[in-house]
Amino acid sequence: MSTVARNGRDLRLPFVAVLAALAASLPWLLGSYELHAVIVALTFLLPAYGLNLLVGYTGLLSLAQAAFFGIGAYVTALLAIHFQTPFIVNLLASGLIAGLIAFPLGVPALRLRATSFVMCTLGFVIIGQAIAKNWISVTRGDMGLESIPRPSFPLGPFSFTVSTTTGFYYLSLVIAAVATLAVWLIVRSPAGRNMVAIRENETLAESLGVPAWRYKIIVFMIGAAFGGLGGALHAHYLTVVTPLTFQMQYSTTMLVIVLGGGPGTISGVIFGSFLFVGLSEALRVAPELRMIAYGLCLLAIVFRFPRGFAPLIDRAWRWIGGER
Amino acid sequence: MFWTLVEQVLNGIVSGSVYAIVAVGMTMIFGVLRAINFAHGEYYMLGAFGAWVAVEYIDLPYPAAVVIGILVTALIALAVGWLIMQRIVGATAETGVLATLGVALVLQNAVIFIFGGSYKYFNGGYIEPVTIFGFMLAEQRVLIIIVCVLVFLALEAMVKLTWAGKAMRAVSQNPLCCEVVGIDVGKVVLQTFALGACLAALSGALTAPVNVTVYGGMGEIITFKTLPIIIMGGLGNVRGTFFAAMILGVAESLVATYIGLQYRDTVGFATLMLVLMWRPHGLFSTRARF
Repeated sequence: MSTVARNGRDLRLPFVAVLAALAASLPWLLGSYELHAVIVALTFLLPAYGLNLLVGYTGLLSLAQAAFFGIGAYVTALLAIHFQTPFIVNLLASGLIAGLIAFPLGVPALRLRATSFVMCTLGFVIIGQAIAKNWISVTRGDMGLESIPRPSFPLGPFSFTVSTTTGFYYLSLVIAAVATLAVWLIVRSPAGRNMVAIRENETLAESLGVPAWRYKIIVFMIGAAFGGLGGALHAHYLTVVTPLTFQMQYSTTMLVIVLGGGPGTISGVIFGSFLFVGLSEALRVAPELRMIAYGLCLLAIVFRFPRGFAPLIDRAWRWIGGER
Repeated sequence: MFWTLVEQVLNGIVSGSVYAIVAVGMTMIFGVLRAINFAHGEYYMLGAFGAWVAVEYIDLPYPAAVVIGILVTALIALAVGWLIMQRIVGATAETGVLATLGVALVLQNAVIFIFGGSYKYFNGGYIEPVTIFGFMLAEQRVLIIIVCVLVFLALEAMVKLTWAGKAMRAVSQNPLCCEVVGIDVGKVVLQTFALGACLAALSGALTAPVNVTVYGGMGEIITFKTLPIIIMGGLGNVRGTFFAAMILGVAESLVATYIGLQYRDTVGFATLMLVLMWRPHGLFSTRARF
């Protein structure tokens, strides 16, 4: 960076500070409905991060994210309802179980090439929904699981329960921040570079000693774990879980966030999450035309910004940094 | 007991024929575009809706309604093909997925916007039962099987004998070489896409009397049923698609009868996964294009 010509006004630090201040004061700036949309965007950010590791960094186009989102939601709901476990336990258990379930699913699926892999992952969502619908003794079928308790933190004298929208916003913000840090650490580690090598040319990467198969299965599991975390947060926020949590539409929304935002970047995915969830909510002003407009926007973005918004964000970031 | 089985297999062949006509278009489009068309079921829906409008508002007889359904779909498909599908040529798989998802959203919700989201009674077709070898089968179902066989024979003849068919095969093998020898890849893509959409529309218009109702969301289910079929059939393989569709149709019908109706819609993907574990490239060769 030191070699880059600067015109003497590096505003990156102040810019980040303003963003952080904005994030902290958002509940005072927005109405409760807008805040709700922001929480949804932060919730979807987690599975989108997982998908980004798969599609953006390792080059595996997966539609299975909604399956792990659903698994996470059900794990959390069952734990919270039957065992009254605290939120943090539910959250971590959801991520862990979704990640573990991804192993037996990933082993056969990852042997497949391109299109077959996409279809196989799509199948996980459809079969997940069928299980949620028909395993009535556990999931109560289409009735779903309701009255999932609000997130509680039993910390002795400092115990508290998050029950307001504002409180939930801060909770999601903290979780999203931790997740962002985790993803950042993964992608800038040597492992992250190996993932990119597999994306660019798997055979070549293997010839250089990158164990591609092991990487792919581990990334698939990490991606699933992020999906599970998102599902757990979603379940605690909505307090109900139904088989519709396993929705193809969720998978496609997450894919749109990653591919439209900027695969293989962190800032692009954050931007995509807010853009597409915001777009979907903003279009509610015209409910009949909402999905038509959403589809048209999607088409416009695909052909206008084929690499997502990442290049634009990159340019803006450099401009803020004062590069000429 | 035995007769129930035979009857269910027959029913399965009928639904297999419905899927086969839709899936063959999808697999040909995949052949030339290398893109999964997530909007393909929407053309099935458009065909059914076109026919419904013709019967309900213009009072046309059923055969004319089928033709109207196909024509309307063809026009829409040409517009979509010209505006969107031609741009997918040579693009990444991600672009294809996102673009066709966008098309599916627009088409499906435009129909819901215009006609409302409710179920509509389809008043037409030949629903009188006929007896064949001692089985009662609605005439319409017999018609579907016959049309399916005719469609596949015609397609086989077309891709083998006509210039357009040979061009389609050529593009599915190597688009770059096609450009070199003077085949207009964009035009072939547009033709293939329109043909595939028309086949889906034909299937939709033929099935509407059997389904009794039409509704805006009906295409999505068909998309998800045909996706496993085209993979099992070996992407781009017309004959393989036919057999895969029949296998799936019969399997669905048997599962619905002997295991439970609620598992019917998972049969496709469950079968697909089992098949892929055993043969990662599908049941039929992906090399034998068309």
